[in-house]
Amino acid sequence: MRDLIRESTLLFFSSLSVAIICIVAIFGPFFAPDPLEQDIINSLLPPFSQGHIFGTDPLGRDIFSRIVSGARVSLIVSLLGMIGSLTVGTIMGLVSGARNQWIAWGSDRLIDIQMAFPYILLAIVIVSATTASIPVLIFLMVLAGWASAARVIRSIVLSEQPKDYVKAASLVGATQKRILVKYIGPTLIPAIFTIAPLQASAMIVMEATLSFLGLGVQPPTPSWGGMLLEGKIYLSEAWWLTTIPGIAIAITCASLIGVGEGLSIKLRGDRSRRIDPSKTENSSLKGSAKL
Amino acid sequence: MRYFFSRVAQSLVIISGITVSVFFMLRFTAGDPARIRGNIYATNEVLEEYRRQFGTDRTVAEQFYSFIKGVIRGNLGDSFRYQQPVTELVLPALRNTMLLGFMALLISITFAIILGTMSARNPNGLVARASGVIAVFGQSAPLFWVGLLLINIFALKLGWLPSGGLTDWKNLVLPSMTLALSILPSQMRVLAASVKAEMDEDYVRTAHAFGLSSKKVYFIHVLRNACLPLLTVIGNDMGVLLGGSIVAEVVFNFPGIGTLALVGLNARDYPLLQGVTIVAASTFVLINLIVDLLYTVMNPRVRLGISK
Repeated sequence: MRDLIRESTLLFFSSLSVAIICIVAIFGPFFAPDPLEQDIINSLLPPFSQGHIFGTDPLGRDIFSRIVSGARVSLIVSLLGMIGSLTVGTIMGLVSGARNQWIAWGSDRLIDIQMAFPYILLAIVIVSATTASIPVLIFLMVLAGWASAARVIRSIVLSEQPKDYVKAASLVGATQKRILVKYIGPTLIPAIFTIAPLQASAMIVMEATLSFLGLGVQPPTPSWGGMLLEGKIYLSEAWWLTTIPGIAIAITCASLIGVGEGLSIKLRGDRSRRIDPSKTENSSLKGSAKL
Repeated sequence: MRYFFSRVAQSLVIISGITVSVFFMLRFTAGDPARIRGNIYATNEVLEEYRRQFGTDRTVAEQFYSFIKGVIRGNLGDSFRYQQPVTELVLPALRNTMLLGFMALLISITFAIILGTMSARNPNGLVARASGVIAVFGQSAPLFWVGLLLINIFALKLGWLPSGGLTDWKNLVLPSMTLALSILPSQMRVLAASVKAEMDEDYVRTAHAFGLSSKKVYFIHVLRNACLPLLTVIGNDMGVLLGGSIVAEVVFNFPGIGTLALVGLNARDYPLLQGVTIVAASTFVLINLIVDLLYTVMNPRVRLGISK
């Protein structure tokens, strides 16, 4: 019982924190000063200076406003990346769990290659082939994130395939495609909901990383990774330029991971209380979103 | 043996697939390297001269033919920017990157075994809690930010360690610590879980019954079996490790593959980018192959082809 309360508190507080971050990202920019307004006289003010709670950057822009409007950019991009990668990942996971050996083999190899190949290198090649922009960034995130989702989905599909209801459906004459979509598909929903926050957190880190390398969101649009890139040069004079956006990223990701963990514990707990304590396919979720 | 050959064949297919796709992706979509090489006032004649020098005035098919002919002989062409063979640039960089990755792996495995063991044996202890915090931090803080923090603390504030470059073993400390932190959480988790699972097995009870000390049981029997899943995780982490080392290299100005790739990106240096990608991908596939084979050697169930 005490464990149950503890599990729920994790879910509760991390959801609360995610909700607060989202609200700040949505409504904050309307209240905070303009993140692009330069004020050279007041450049590089440390945190808690007058009028600038988080200080200012080398161009005198208010860090707090930049964090808040950067949150908007980062969150939207990550959300789109998460949705895209989960969609592609689910489809590929379903396909690779199919009975047809050739299709399954092909998509398995594709997942392996994708997991094997470091996405940063891929991102560098793709960005040099196109140019850095937000649509390309989202594409890169989908490309980098789908395989880990596909792997989880595949493992669930494979564990569902031998079950009686699938056999029954195929005896009745349902096609493989129908079985995958109509019968196995719904069983994936809890898992998808559990991966989603973890995937979102991985996407935030990825957005920050790519922007930090100059491959993602381009200045002057503020984003958390971009702020870190700009702050890198001033590391010795102005620690807050890099520390504050990093803390924003870490808090957001930690909250999202908390939601994911909380959900997965809750789902597992519910299931084990109901009937089937031996099934632990959720354990494969752990670390799935680590990219 | 058959498994071995099919794995090798698979690896070759993957490497050639990546090679060919990188070549065409760059040729069809990237900007003109001559234009980036020449200054903005460069006349058409100058640009033509550069194109002739780079060989980009030929048709794509011709370029591909000479590229493949070179690759088979182990020649990846000359870098546009540095005017020297790509292999001479890539191989030392690869050595540095692998050194960095290896150090990081060593650090993270050491810590994973120590912390994972301690937290599996005493799940409510201080170490278990602390490693939980480390795991969450490692998973949610971006690697490059951790790197910047470490530079700020250990290089700028305390002045104990250099902030970048590679001249001395000291240069390796901060980047490999940063990298290790990013792969530590998954390893620690898996190890703690598998240690816990192994502890409940019958053979542990038997060993205890034979009168072995619990230390002996743990280090000789349990840990060996518990490390099998860890090996899989390490195999999966290779991508994270290589990708992460690219980022860490940029943060720490470390002369590795990643820094080279970014230079290649900015100069639209096709041969360099191709070289980096091919070499990195091959190394990577090779390491995965080795991990896979190691796994079969260590796990008799896989070796003998017994499923379940």
